[in-house]
This record gives sequence, structure tokens and C-alpha cells, in this order.
Amino acid sequence: MSEFISAQDVSFAYDPEEGQAPRNVLEGVSMRIRRGEFVALLGHNGCGKSTMAKLFNAMLLPTGGKVFVDGMDTVDEAVLYEIRRRVGLVLQNPDNQLVASVVEEDVAFGPENLGVPPEEIRRRVDEALKAVEMYDFRLNAPYKLSGGQKQRVAIAGIIAMQPDCIVLDEPTAMLDPRGRSEVLRTIHRLNREQGITIVLITHYMDEAVQADRVIVMDDGNVLTEGTPREVFSQVELLKKHQLDVPQATELTYRLRGMGFPMPCTLNEEECVEALAAYLPPVQAG
Amino acid sequence: MIGDIAFGQFIPGKSPLHRMDPRVKIVLIFLFIVFLFVAQNFVALALPVLAALAAIFLSGVPLRQYLKSVKAVIFIVLFTSVLNLFYGGGQTLLKLGFMEIKSGGVSNAIFIAVRILTLILLSAVLTFTTSPNSLTDAIERLMKPLKVFHVKVHEIAMIMTIALRFVPTLLEETDKIMSAQKARGADLESGGLVQRAKALLPILIPLFVSSFRRAYDLAMAMECRCYHGGEGRTKMKVLHAGKGDAAACAVSCLLCAAVIVCNILLPGSLT
Repeated sequence: MSEFISAQDVSFAYDPEEGQAPRNVLEGVSMRIRRGEFVALLGHNGCGKSTMAKLFNAMLLPTGGKVFVDGMDTVDEAVLYEIRRRVGLVLQNPDNQLVASVVEEDVAFGPENLGVPPEEIRRRVDEALKAVEMYDFRLNAPYKLSGGQKQRVAIAGIIAMQPDCIVLDEPTAMLDPRGRSEVLRTIHRLNREQGITIVLITHYMDEAVQADRVIVMDDGNVLTEGTPREVFSQVELLKKHQLDVPQATELTYRLRGMGFPMPCTLNEEECVEALAAYLPPVQAG
Repeated sequence: MIGDIAFGQFIPGKSPLHRMDPRVKIVLIFLFIVFLFVAQNFVALALPVLAALAAIFLSGVPLRQYLKSVKAVIFIVLFTSVLNLFYGGGQTLLKLGFMEIKSGGVSNAIFIAVRILTLILLSAVLTFTTSPNSLTDAIERLMKPLKVFHVKVHEIAMIMTIALRFVPTLLEETDKIMSAQKARGADLESGGLVQRAKALLPILIPLFVSSFRRAYDLAMAMECRCYHGGEGRTKMKVLHAGKGDAAACAVSCLLCAAVIVCNILLPGSLT
């Protein structure tokens, strides 16, 4: 897989409040996002993961280092809108990112800004709404939708711009469990069926487990990265930085600590399997 | 419940008026309102009134909706008519102390009442049959020529769109804040006017703070979706006027011409 976004030794500091020294939110972070990949970006509040998201689509520019999107430097103003079109950003609060008072008009907002011809916009809007399974709601008012539905409309609004990559900044933090699973199912399908690169910023471990690759950030740096199994098998390291592991992983980790040679498990099924191996087989009859 | 307040008063439907181009609707309604005031005698006045009645019939909106909107202004109508009773010449009909009502005054009063009522009904036809979105859209296109005078037409329309979008959201939020403050013992219902106004402060302040936060978020979301003002922007829905609109224009122009003819041929009823 070819490289799509690359951050090279990026540091970033927000404008300090008066009388305060600027504090680096990011300190020399390097990471790569490959084309078509599903990456989860994990970390505490304030570890710099949301800042990272805004650096990816040139909403913020690095104070040190470089960010490249498909070879384009985000500092280059000439390609600013091209970068934002290719890297769509979905924010946390579903209420505050919808612009129009009709679902389909909101989805059309992005392509309208890009100057796409009307018939083409119509086609893209219908396609995008079908892709997130919100086509039947196209004439509804956003405030009448549930949180999960609003968030899917926000995703449709990004898809209509035909991006290569969608960055989602804690898209499920304000949703109920049902809304969460709706949104997750949608982004996994987009990744699988349309090959859209997904960067999912989250602090839910069970969401991270489903990714191709996990990058863990802590205090403005990359702590560790790898496949979910590689990352979550380092339970001690994560615990040292007050990060959680999925519950199944936690259980087998503790059992291992008690002397049972258990494998590292990532989800309920694996955990059940590992436990079953220790139980005597059920007598038939 | 605050959320129950009817907003925009758009009543969805499939009538010929609903299907009309909103631009044409705005222009024609405006034209009739102007001609309501151009008309100088009862025959001339009857023409725009007829047009309004026809529009009400064609809109397919239940009559009680129109009655509701008339009810809201009935006081103003009565007040101005009563005032007008005492102006105007002609025969003295009634003497009340130092005031007298003359025949001219009576016709003035009727005239003004009919004018205001028709004006209200015409604007009700417009808002009942046009969704807020197409209304803003139409206003944006109609104001386009003003760009020559550096009026920020696109920005004004965008502000209207966003305001319409956030009205229900903010109403919901107000409701929530009110409940939260009540839960902490805020008393919103008792006391005099000043006291009640003061009690609103703990509701308005959080509402303002959250509105600013929302505005910040929204601005960011818009920038993320490549918003950069009206320059080079296209629209998904292109307004286009059809045969129905042309027919409506033709009929309206004829009526307006008839108003002028009546004005010239018949004596004025206003004194």
C-alpha cells in the first residue's frame, strides 16, 4: 500500500494566552497513513490526537516539521482546497457540523463549495446518502434525526466531496451505543467497499481493536504503534500511561498474571475460546 | 414546551402555488401589495383582493390557518380603521361631542381595513406555500444585482440559512437549560416583570456561551468542507420558472393594468 498522509517530525503549539509561554501540544511526531488503510488513533484527552487530525487536512499548520497529503505540502496555499477535499474531517458534535435545514441540502454543501455542476451534485448526494443508509431521510430536518443518524449525514457530506481519506475525530463520543455501532458499521463498510482510507480518533478501545493498525499517542508523542494485537499485548506499557485495554484483553492478562498461560485476546469470542480450553469438556447427555 | 412554537409557518403541500418558482412568487406578491396601495377606488381595490382570494383558494392550505394569521393582527386593523373613521369629508353621519363621523371617514376605514387584511393574507400565502429554504434561495437570487453595490448577497443568504437551521437546535437547548436551572431551584414563573426578566439571565448566559461554541464548531466544519464564500460556488437545486409561472405573471400584469385603468376612469373613493 502506498503512503497517503505522512507527518514528518511535526511539532505544534497553539497561540499562548497572554503572559504564558507557548506549550508544545505535539513534539516531533512522525506517522504515516497508507492508502486504503483503517487506522485508529488512540490516546488520552489532551494527548494531541485532535490536533493531529486538524493537521491532516490543513485546518492547522505545523509549527515545526512537515505534513504531506499525497505528496502535497499542507503549507502550500495553492493546494489548500484540494487537500481539504481529499481529506474530509468529521467532528465530534453531530449537531454543530450540519449547515442546512434539509438533509440532502446539507450533503450538497461540500460539492457546492467545490463548484461541481448541479446534475453531478444531485448524483453525488444521492449516492452518498445511499452509502450511509440515510437516503430515505433525505428530505428530513437534521434536528429530527438521532445522534447516530446526524453523524452519518455528516459522513455523507464528506463522501459527496469524493475524498480519498476520512478523518473522524471522536465521532461516537456523544452517541448512545446504538448510534455508535451504526457509525462504526458505516465507516468500516466505506473502508472495505469504496477503499476510502479511514483515520478513526477515539478513546474507546473496542473501536480501536477493529482497525488494521493502531497508533497510540501520549503527551504529544507516539507511544507505540502496530496491529491491534501487537499494541494491546503490551499491557504493561499501556497501563503505565494510564491507558485502558479492551476488557477481554484485561481478563486474559490478569489470568496470565495468576499463572494461567493464556494467549492475548482482543475480543469476547477469542476470550471465550481461550477460557473454554481450560474447562473440562461437557459430558454428553 | 418552547419547541411547540410554530416556525416559518410553511405548510407542505403539492398545490400549484407550492410548485411555483419562489422568485416569481415573491415578486408577484410584492407587486400585488404595491397595487393594493395604488388602488384609489373600491373597484380598483377589488382586483388585488380577488387575486389574494384566488391565491388562497389555489394554495390548498386550510382556511383556519389563514384565520389564525388574521386573528393575530385584528387589533391593529380595528385600531387603524377606528382612527380613520374620524378623517375624511362628505356628509356628517354622526356627531359625538366635538368629533363627527362623515361618510368619507367610513369609506376610508373600510378601505384601510381591506388593505391591511389583504396584505396579511398575501404574505401568509407566500410563507405557507414556500419552504424557508427556497425562500432564502429566492432572496439570494433576487438580490444578486445588488452585488454591484458591494452588498454581500451570498453572505446574507448564508446567514439566513444557518439561522433557520439552528432555530430548533437553540430552542431545544433553551428548554434543557431551563430545566437544569429549575432543577437547581431557579424560580421562573413568579414575581413581577422585573423579577422575571432577572430570572432569565441564568438562562441567557449559558445559551450565549454555548451558541458561541456552536458557531466556532460550525465555522470549522464549514471550512473542512472547503467553504470559501460565494466565489465559484454552484447550487444543487437550480430554480427555473415554468409555464405556470409565466401564466401567473401574465394574469397578474393584466390585473395590475386593470387597477390603473380603474383608477383613471372611476372617481377616487379616498378623501
